[in-house]
Amino acid sequence: MTAGVPRRAFPEDDPPDDRRPSERLRGTPPNPDAAISVRGLTKRFGGFTAVDGIDFDVPRGTIVGFLGPNGSGKTTTIRMLTGTSAPTAGQALVLGEDVVAHPERVRQRFGYMSQKFALFEDMTVEENLRFYAGVYDLSPERFAQQRAYVLQMADLQGRENELTANLSVGWRQRLALGTATIHDPELLFLDEPTGGVDPVARRQFWDLLYELAGRGVTLFVTTHYMDEASHCNQLAFIYRGGLIAEGAPAEIRHDLLTERVLEIQLTNVDGALTWLESAPGVEEAYLSGASLHAVLDPDAVPGFEERLRAAGFPDAAVRLVEPTLEDVFVNLVARAEQS
Amino acid sequence: MRSTGAQTRRRIRLLIWKEFLQLRRDPLLLRLLFLMPIMQLILFGYVVAADVKNLSTAIVDLDRTTTSRALEAHFGASDYFQVVAHPAESDLQQLMDTGTIALAIVIPEGTQAALDRGETAPIGVVVDGSDSQVASVGSGYAAQIIARFNAERMNAQGVDLAAPGIDARVRVMFNPTLASVNTMIPGLVAAIVMLSIMAVMGQAVVKERERGTLEQMFVTPIRPTEYLIGKVTPYALVATVQLCLVALVGIFWFGVPFAGQISVVAAGLALFMLTSIGLGLLISLVSHTRQQAQQLMMLFMLPSFVLSGFIFPVDSMPAAIVPLTWFVPLTWAIEILRGAFIKGSGFEALATQFWVLAAFAVVIFGAAIIATRRRLTE
Repeated sequence: MTAGVPRRAFPEDDPPDDRRPSERLRGTPPNPDAAISVRGLTKRFGGFTAVDGIDFDVPRGTIVGFLGPNGSGKTTTIRMLTGTSAPTAGQALVLGEDVVAHPERVRQRFGYMSQKFALFEDMTVEENLRFYAGVYDLSPERFAQQRAYVLQMADLQGRENELTANLSVGWRQRLALGTATIHDPELLFLDEPTGGVDPVARRQFWDLLYELAGRGVTLFVTTHYMDEASHCNQLAFIYRGGLIAEGAPAEIRHDLLTERVLEIQLTNVDGALTWLESAPGVEEAYLSGASLHAVLDPDAVPGFEERLRAAGFPDAAVRLVEPTLEDVFVNLVARAEQS
Repeated sequence: MRSTGAQTRRRIRLLIWKEFLQLRRDPLLLRLLFLMPIMQLILFGYVVAADVKNLSTAIVDLDRTTTSRALEAHFGASDYFQVVAHPAESDLQQLMDTGTIALAIVIPEGTQAALDRGETAPIGVVVDGSDSQVASVGSGYAAQIIARFNAERMNAQGVDLAAPGIDARVRVMFNPTLASVNTMIPGLVAAIVMLSIMAVMGQAVVKERERGTLEQMFVTPIRPTEYLIGKVTPYALVATVQLCLVALVGIFWFGVPFAGQISVVAAGLALFMLTSIGLGLLISLVSHTRQQAQQLMMLFMLPSFVLSGFIFPVDSMPAAIVPLTWFVPLTWAIEILRGAFIKGSGFEALATQFWVLAAFAVVIFGAAIIATRRRLTE
């Protein structure tokens, strides 16, 4: 995930000296200047390996998206990085401190916000702020400043004495963000922060995240919304506990350019999907919204529409599209499953 | 960024403040916490502890002499009997069948005459055997009253008491009125400590885990130990208020005599509180939902109540069961409290009980802290 020259996502396509960033990091000592530096981080629960020896560096001041389907190891990784879960093996430096051995040394300097609304619902807005300000040992003057900022940011002025249980989702979200950043952390972990939030509130929320990033805060965000992934500077895909791709969103999309993505519109979607799955030159086919997406070998693209029409789908309309992150993701997962 | 002692104290104060705020916002829980001991007091003080008292009694006086009337007066003066009827002998059966009377004393004709002649005069005691407790206790009391009456009569007549026959009176130590309430209230104090602490501790941590607030707190500088102290202190205070309430009502309303030293009672309760807090934590640790915690608590509570001697005396349990009662912390707490309340026993007399309870407290509370830390950081 270190910034640098564009890299290919797939090792088998790469010359040996151009390995993925995580592969180049493997075996090197963790980097104390990075916001997060992880080497061989592993977590096993009994016989199940939730996180399988991952390596990455998160440079300070970036927004990093940590992507993956449910159960892929995103939350387990965050829990290890916040010091609430001890890794089975590996090293993790957070803001230069060994978070495994001494989580308490760094907790004052990072914030954490989970998908679940984790403020006390039976306490008021004011009481929640006061509690967390006290936990982080803010001075009274600093608390007054931060309180005013959070209330303004979350649009909760005049509602200080309302129980947080009575706030609607968008407000809660922003209050939770305000509380998680009340101590001005250098690094903020966000575990699926926009789950269950409507698109408008999600956009507002991302505006706030940009504002934080603009102040130099490093953001580590897990999500499975692909549109959110494109807001990030750097992305890492985790699947079954291992990193399967890293890089800037544009690089990751670019990496798939060896393949072509076709958008197919037709009436008999189910029939076409079945046909595509066994058609030569088609690597992957899946539903994307109301249309089909097919990932093709570049050689198979010319005349594909004709082949499709001849195969019994006369109304098929085919269009070459820029791969979306979702395309990339589906493709990566399919490859990971094949190997 | 090491925490200083001042920061630790400040965070613990915050956690306690937070806990009381939340408690205040939960009016149902708050009411339960104070209604529960009062309800239990009423139940155990009046219903379970109801002694054999005021037995409805019929006197069938066929003798109609000063002696027979004096004997009747003895019965009437006793708390155990209430003379409600003077039926004819033939009506006894019906009165007993309908439950109007539980016991009848039949003084046969010629009783005084027989006594004057120096002969033994039989007095009939008829008891309703359908309630075995009434039958045994009632007939026992009746025999005592007759014996006492006899003794007084002989004494008045100057008969030599230096060579009596058999003194049939039962001497009851420590609890001369045999009032169950005197043994119930000290037991209840211990039971309430256990009930309310375990209920709340078991629920409180699980609740925070369910809501995700626990997770949020543990990425902050709050340490597991600070969290535990902040969680335990408010409920230990609440439990202290509860047990003071129970003890005061017990002493002043139910007239339970307090013969002991406050320090013995306080030390016993403190040890027992630690044990209960530890048990509550262990329950909340193995449960993932509040329902599970609830069920587990029930599973633990019932054997505790049955085996501890709180309701059923340990002495009357089958010999094979008795060793089981040793593994119930409540057993030892109740022995300490009853000893201190009723017998005025001190630390020396209760040394065994204190050591056992201390061992329970150390092992259970220690295990709970270790397990909690491990669980919370996993």
